[in-house]
Amino acid sequence: MKNGSPTLENGTRWHDKYPHLGTGPLSVDVFTSPEQFAQERERIFKKVWLNVGRVEQIPHPGDYFVKNLAVCNTSVIVVRGKDNKVKAFHNMCSHRGNKIAWDSQGTCRMFTCKFHGWSYALDGKLTFVPDEERFFGLKKETLGMTPVAVDVWAGFIFINVDPTPQETLQDYLGELGAGLADYPFGELSATSTTWTTEVKANWKVIKDAFQEVYHIAFLHKRSIPDSFTSKANPYAHCLSVQLYPRHGSMSLYGNAELKPTPVAELAFRYGAFVIRKDFSEARLPPAVNPTRSKEWTLDLNVIFPAFFVDVSEGSYFTHQFMPLAVDRTIWTSTQYFPKATTPAQRFSQEYGNVIFRDVILEDGRTFEETQSVLSSGAKKEIYLHDEEILVRHSHHVVDQMLNSQPITVGSHTNGKEESPRA
Amino acid sequence: MPESLLPAQFHELEQWKEWSLATEQERSARRQASTMEDIKTFYNAMLARMEEVLPYLEQFSADELPQDATRLFYLTLSLAEVAPAVEQFGQPSVVDGYDVKRIVVQHH
Repeated sequence: MKNGSPTLENGTRWHDKYPHLGTGPLSVDVFTSPEQFAQERERIFKKVWLNVGRVEQIPHPGDYFVKNLAVCNTSVIVVRGKDNKVKAFHNMCSHRGNKIAWDSQGTCRMFTCKFHGWSYALDGKLTFVPDEERFFGLKKETLGMTPVAVDVWAGFIFINVDPTPQETLQDYLGELGAGLADYPFGELSATSTTWTTEVKANWKVIKDAFQEVYHIAFLHKRSIPDSFTSKANPYAHCLSVQLYPRHGSMSLYGNAELKPTPVAELAFRYGAFVIRKDFSEARLPPAVNPTRSKEWTLDLNVIFPAFFVDVSEGSYFTHQFMPLAVDRTIWTSTQYFPKATTPAQRFSQEYGNVIFRDVILEDGRTFEETQSVLSSGAKKEIYLHDEEILVRHSHHVVDQMLNSQPITVGSHTNGKEESPRA
Repeated sequence: MPESLLPAQFHELEQWKEWSLATEQERSARRQASTMEDIKTFYNAMLARMEEVLPYLEQFSADELPQDATRLFYLTLSLAEVAPAVEQFGQPSVVDGYDVKRIVVQHH
């Protein structure tokens, strides 16, 4: 294996593919500056498509869930309408601004505000105002719940709080979205487990920890010492890296000589999960494992700003990092499995959940530890390894969006940056 | 005659009935509250029978387990829960890990 890398020619690096990104250190200010955070809120989170859930959460008309989006200064109701379409609304009553749905999910025939009984149909129309005649020229038809742009990609529900979204969801997801759309998400989303916690760290500190493989051999040396490494590839070098204008993707090497622990070995007999594969090309669209390597185990797909869809064979998982403040974030990870038809398959999936959870608990410890010293001023810069190129790209995209630069970079063929528009 | 807690051929596992827990939160809490000695003894006892337990459970559909088989099934989920403590960490909690008690779990 040349260069310690499964696919790169000797001496070449991922950064050679994307010279416009440079190779120098980056500032730590972006993790601690309240001004930076305020800009990220206005220029990124309130302008782009954000994942809020999956269609399986609302299978029937009247099913809804609520997503509180502090970073967008709002709360959103996502509901399946009578017409079976997914709709989204700001969770706010037209009367005096009260939040309409106070729970996190449910089923209803209409939404009724607890404060004064104003009622809204599933399509958002205001249908009933108690004691209406004592109002003054109320035009009910103008007072429905305020809609939020919503769309669905591969079963994932995205919203955009921009009143006039600058692009469709399809255009936003671009080439990566098109390439992944045929992955069997629906079949693999029959069951899921979600782990959520509030972390005292900047969303980018958390995101960066999940979008590189350099840490695997060290941070995960106890939980998964040899799942992504081997003598031939001791640093878990990736099989491929693809950068898009905003999004990024990397393919992870898996150790075919993995020696499972006794319980892992039992679990492998009854199901597949992320640290083990049952490679079958027919089930994977071309965007997954693009080099078609026989040593492939997992693709990380980072959808800007803060949503990961990480796909393996027979299972996938997602991460999301929703900012609350410059140094506080809601971190959510979900692992998905196909329907288990026997108890032994459920046992296998349970082990898959436990080991996944314990691995991300190893990741999780670094976030607050890092954030706690980031403001010290002791270090002004961070230095990035070649395999940390998604980190570099991610910071570059944030930078571009804060400076209102057109997103033209990330092209595989053209590395030149356009000059900013006036 | 009182009903057996577990299917007859796994009778000796009944001493571990307190590990027969239905939810991840309960199993995780028990792992965190136990000594490694207790965890290891439970782990070894279950592992010794798993070659028979899993094929036994396989005969049932996941949604139609009789009660005694359900209790046995929950024991296997607890084995899954404690496995990393024994096989990877050598202690109940993840070494140098984020506090699992801060995590809220939801299943779908």
